[in-house]
Amino acid sequence: MVELLAQTGLNAVYAASYISLVAVGLVLIFGVMGVVNFAHGELFMAGAYAVVALYADMHVPFFVAVAIGMAFVGLLGLLMEWALFRPLKDNPLGGLVASIGFLMILQSLAVMGFGVRMEHIPPVTQEVVRFTEKVGLPVARLYVIVAAVVFLSALWYFLKRTRFGWALRASAQDPEAAALQGISITQTARIAMFIGAALAGVAGALTAPLVSVNPHMGHSVIVTAFIVIIVGGVGSLEGAILASIAYAFVHTFVTTFWDGVLADIVGLSLMLIVLIVKPTGLFGSADRA
Amino acid sequence: MIPKFLTSGPSRRTFLKTAGAAAASLGFPRMTLAAGEPIKIGFLAPLTGAVAAWGKPGLDGCAIWAERVNAAGGIQLADGAHPIEFVSYDNEYDPAKARTGATKLIREDGVKFIMMLGGDTWPGVQPVAERTGMLFSTLLPSDLSPETTTLVAPAEVHPIYNVTGVEWLAQNKPDLKTAVMCAQDDALGLPSVATYLAAFEAAGIEMLEEPLLFDPATTDFAPVVTRLMAKNPEIICLDTCYSDYVHPICEQLFQQGFSGQIISCTADFYDQMIEKTSQEFMEGFIFQFPDFDDPALNSDAINFQDPNGFYAEYNARHPGQWGAVSWEYASIMDMWKAAAEKAGSAEPDAVMTAMKDGRGGHAFGEADWWGKDLFGIDNALVGDWPVVAIENGKAVIKEFRSIPDWYNRHGDLLVKHMEAYGQMWNQRG
Repeated sequence: MVELLAQTGLNAVYAASYISLVAVGLVLIFGVMGVVNFAHGELFMAGAYAVVALYADMHVPFFVAVAIGMAFVGLLGLLMEWALFRPLKDNPLGGLVASIGFLMILQSLAVMGFGVRMEHIPPVTQEVVRFTEKVGLPVARLYVIVAAVVFLSALWYFLKRTRFGWALRASAQDPEAAALQGISITQTARIAMFIGAALAGVAGALTAPLVSVNPHMGHSVIVTAFIVIIVGGVGSLEGAILASIAYAFVHTFVTTFWDGVLADIVGLSLMLIVLIVKPTGLFGSADRA
Repeated sequence: MIPKFLTSGPSRRTFLKTAGAAAASLGFPRMTLAAGEPIKIGFLAPLTGAVAAWGKPGLDGCAIWAERVNAAGGIQLADGAHPIEFVSYDNEYDPAKARTGATKLIREDGVKFIMMLGGDTWPGVQPVAERTGMLFSTLLPSDLSPETTTLVAPAEVHPIYNVTGVEWLAQNKPDLKTAVMCAQDDALGLPSVATYLAAFEAAGIEMLEEPLLFDPATTDFAPVVTRLMAKNPEIICLDTCYSDYVHPICEQLFQQGFSGQIISCTADFYDQMIEKTSQEFMEGFIFQFPDFDDPALNSDAINFQDPNGFYAEYNARHPGQWGAVSWEYASIMDMWKAAAEKAGSAEPDAVMTAMKDGRGGHAFGEADWWGKDLFGIDNALVGDWPVVAIENGKAVIKEFRSIPDWYNRHGDLLVKHMEAYGQMWNQRG
């Protein structure tokens, strides 16, 4: 039983890692721009396909492929900000609707470029860190955990310790006051979109060899991310991280000890309870960010 | 006074069906064919989306089938020879889109026969079938019911053929006595769960716990695999999981150190699974769908036309894309063509009558129309089915085993488990 608990705990840590990368990016975009980016799951998918194209098809080294994929998806985020969200910034629903349209475009491009079937990605490594005979952590999963710790720590440092980070937080708290202080709202929106998209991209790129990469893989990711940011508090980065960890542990343990379908029900119930008891989420406030 | 026929005559359902059929005969006029005019066949299956792997490869196989048949002169009917033309509609595995597609194929394209994957999309199409009398086929006999007499399942009796793999395993590896199973919670997974449970019970293999069901949206299978391995089973059964699940599950089984027997309905792209795990890990993996370059398919008993040539052509056009359904829709077309030529007509009712006249020429041999116990109607063609194992990195047919023989001995177990999972035809909503 101890080994089962330990293995389940390791599975949960991995799940929390990639969920938090996606959810934090989504929260950052919403916090700064006030846009619910429905295409965020497809940015995750785009990161995975970058690895398919570069690593699986063109035999570029895996971590180079991941880095290029992360940058590519970040640039996709800039494109979305320039082409969709900036022109529609005065339309409360415009960004949301435009992101749904962009979602469909990305899915269609994936189908046109790669086909409808799941893509095969050769394993990056088959090494497993063994703690006991029955408890182990595949190194490919360890990469995702390390990446989540590194990138989220870097983001925390950026937001708390740099002038750009302060500008970002100021824009999120009160865009008009920030603008009066000389902060470029457009510039902060660009930075937020690039970082948010790049985080989704790196999550997709790193997990690509571990999941079935297909044009519709973003769907389940975005559903999970929405549950997480609602539980954590819309606009709260700390809330998104803690809710990712809580959700991943609850979902993983319920799946392992009861049932995978029940785990989904429990996850959704968790969200409903939080919405009823604290509608702003565990770490959210009435104002966004 | 209420007219007597409204109270004791035809039921409301019969009345509506008759009226519907009459209306349909006006709304969907029969199109007569000129000699040499192509006969159109509808292909209504998921060509995009998560289930596309069980639609698109079938359409690719049909294209090869049509080229071969047309090059040989087409189909010979009473009014002469006709080429075959496929008209496809992507239903995206969505019942509403499937219904739209069926109506379009019948009304606008004038197809004579519609092939479907079935499953979750069939309820959308069923009213169209009942209204028009169009002949439909499904790969999933769990779609069958007495309500629709023009739906047939002539290619495979999913999931009933899975019993042959378990029976072969029990006879050839009798030391394996315990098993666990996982499946996605959907119209494909659940009847297969019931079938495997019946097969394991019949074989004297103990299920260590209830089957683990997971959401079809699952992407991370580490928790599922941890749970499966928790009780140290000798056999892990992957049910009828889609290849999007089979691959990551096998990779997780490998990484979490499983060294026992794996049995699954399918193992599409098993070469990729070998690359993600190892040849040693995949050795002995049992499933139900052979590669068609297998020498065992050159037997005279096999009805599929030139399986080795078909496989070579398919792989030349679509390298690495061969899967469970690549040949199945084409095998249905073999049956349909034989029935149409026997009837001398491509009209759905004439083909249906000819198709069900006597035994059927199933891809893997002669077979019987069967299914009343499970589906309420004898519209599934059932006979022998291959048991396939991976040996030295290649799928090999180990044996053809009779599904009817198993059912005659253990049918009560299958009915019991199907009822427990609400999968009998009269339990489905």
